Amino acid sequence: MSAAAVPTQGGLRAGLLDAYTATRRFLIRGMRQPDVIFGSILIPVIFVVLFGYVFGSSIRLPGGGNYRSYLMPGLFAMTILFSSNNVAVAVATDMSEGVVDRFRTLPIARSAIVIGRSLSSLILGIPVLAVMIVCGLAVGWHPEDGLGNAVLAFLLFELFGFAIGWLGVLVGLLAGGAQAADVIISIPTFLLGFISSVFVDPALMPAWLRVIAYWNPMSAVVQAGRQLFGNTIGPPPAGVWSLDHPIVTTVGLAMIIIIVVAPICVRLYSHSTR
Amino acid sequence: MITPVDAPGGEPSTLPTGTLHAATSPAITADHLARSFGTVHALVDVSLRVERGTVCALLGRNGAGKTTTVRILTTLLPADAGRAQVSGFDVASQAPEVRTRIGVTGQTATMDELLTGAENLETIGRFCHLGAAVSGRRATALLEQFDLTAAARQLVKHYSGGMRRRLDLAASLIADPEVLFLDEPTTGLDPVSRAEMWTSIRGLVAGGTTVLLTTQYLDEADRLADTIVVVDRGLVVAEGTPEQLKASIGRPFVRVTLPEPDPAILEKVRRLLGEEAEVSGRSVSAPAPHGLNTLEEVVEQLRGLGVAVHEVGLEHPSLDEVFSTVTDHSAHRVEQPVSPAGAA
Repeated sequence: MSAAAVPTQGGLRAGLLDAYTATRRFLIRGMRQPDVIFGSILIPVIFVVLFGYVFGSSIRLPGGGNYRSYLMPGLFAMTILFSSNNVAVAVATDMSEGVVDRFRTLPIARSAIVIGRSLSSLILGIPVLAVMIVCGLAVGWHPEDGLGNAVLAFLLFELFGFAIGWLGVLVGLLAGGAQAADVIISIPTFLLGFISSVFVDPALMPAWLRVIAYWNPMSAVVQAGRQLFGNTIGPPPAGVWSLDHPIVTTVGLAMIIIIVVAPICVRLYSHSTR
Repeated sequence: MITPVDAPGGEPSTLPTGTLHAATSPAITADHLARSFGTVHALVDVSLRVERGTVCALLGRNGAGKTTTVRILTTLLPADAGRAQVSGFDVASQAPEVRTRIGVTGQTATMDELLTGAENLETIGRFCHLGAAVSGRRATALLEQFDLTAAARQLVKHYSGGMRRRLDLAASLIADPEVLFLDEPTTGLDPVSRAEMWTSIRGLVAGGTTVLLTTQYLDEADRLADTIVVVDRGLVVAEGTPEQLKASIGRPFVRVTLPEPDPAILEKVRRLLGEEAEVSGRSVSAPAPHGLNTLEEVVEQLRGLGVAVHEVGLEHPSLDEVFSTVTDHSAHRVEQPVSPAGAA
């Protein structure tokens, strides 16, 4: 037998290597799907045009500020929220193919594949966000509270994206197939995205919807971004804790999602049978 | 000789209670494995033993329990009852140890379509903790071995069915496994690809790898395996070498074929060949208990009869006949309580 006969296994180092290998695999895969990349860049750009100009031309902000400056932080968060769709569909596709069995008979850390999936989704989201930033700058948005805070805002968005990615993995693992995963995750992402302060100020919504929109975690995420970019339109509504403390809310929420959902995903993945 | 499994649990267990790490332990031992999916009893009682360096074929129809057995042995599925060891390690309690020592090629393609053949193999190598450099070297060597060098830099989505299977097999070998599991390695392949696959598998065996393969093709089991375990409805219904299986069922028989299906002459020949002779078309066949001696007698007698004969020959039963005989047996047996649990 050759020197390669008895591979080493176990240990933190091996686990990290496995996660690295898995991330690398998903990155290569991701870069070879130009249709998916094109779609995930095109849709946010369409949103900029659609909401920035088509609807935006008729939207007046309460304080008379620039609507597109108000809109862009919302679209950054929205882009990240929607990226969970791709993750869910990709995981569900993987689960329905023989490749899961192959991985599960290899001596790899149980968490490696799902960690690789969510990390690669985070990394593949960076160029999309870059395109969005360029779009935002082109339509007149710019950070008004210094570069440092702007960088913090994007880091916050990425942390949120990482957490949302785990939810995508979870849906992908639980859904019966790629199409089911797509439907299951599209509904909450749409509701979370639109019934929020992403596009308009909830102050103008009917009372019952306004309460939902204020307490929607997406509103807090967007509010955190707007605060760090300095793109706010007056003080947040009184009595909504998550909007008064948007950064704490976003970080806390992301941490809770990661801490709760990631172990569930690892368990589901290692015990799944097709 | 053929070993019909009459009473599960009847044989004393020869499995050691501790873990065998010695290279002399059998490559695979499975002891009364059972597994149900809801009300479907995929495995009722399967025991088998595969010695190192041999090829064992698990032969059975669709739904016989072949894949379930392989999934249990490869740590993919827990058994409801029974235990199994691969390379001396328990598949349930020592799964990580088992995984470092096995290679698995399933029925479905497991290679990533968006990666090249080389990238796929390198990724599996890295997952086996061979390191980037060794993974690359092994990948190159295996691509060469499986005649895929020309396609090494092509995406797998452009591969043919046969190429995908060979790549899958190559991936199973990247860490030089002690035991290789092949679940229906040639199902769905065209005859040329199948022959190539057989050549590849024979090459591995010559290199000393232990192979457990499942198949529904008798000729495949016959050509590749040292021992055959016939499974039907979750039970082992027969096991032995291909020759043993054939010999146990098979008495050879003599077949006389006439130029024309003339009823009068057919009847004459039938009477000549004795009570057990059967007419079919323009030929008559009868058991040949003494093999070539019987054939010689028949030829003498035909000459004496003065009948024009197209062909006379001695025929041996094929594994197909063995297979249908033993599986019919089991179909009959299932009506009786066959397992202690009465699961069937």
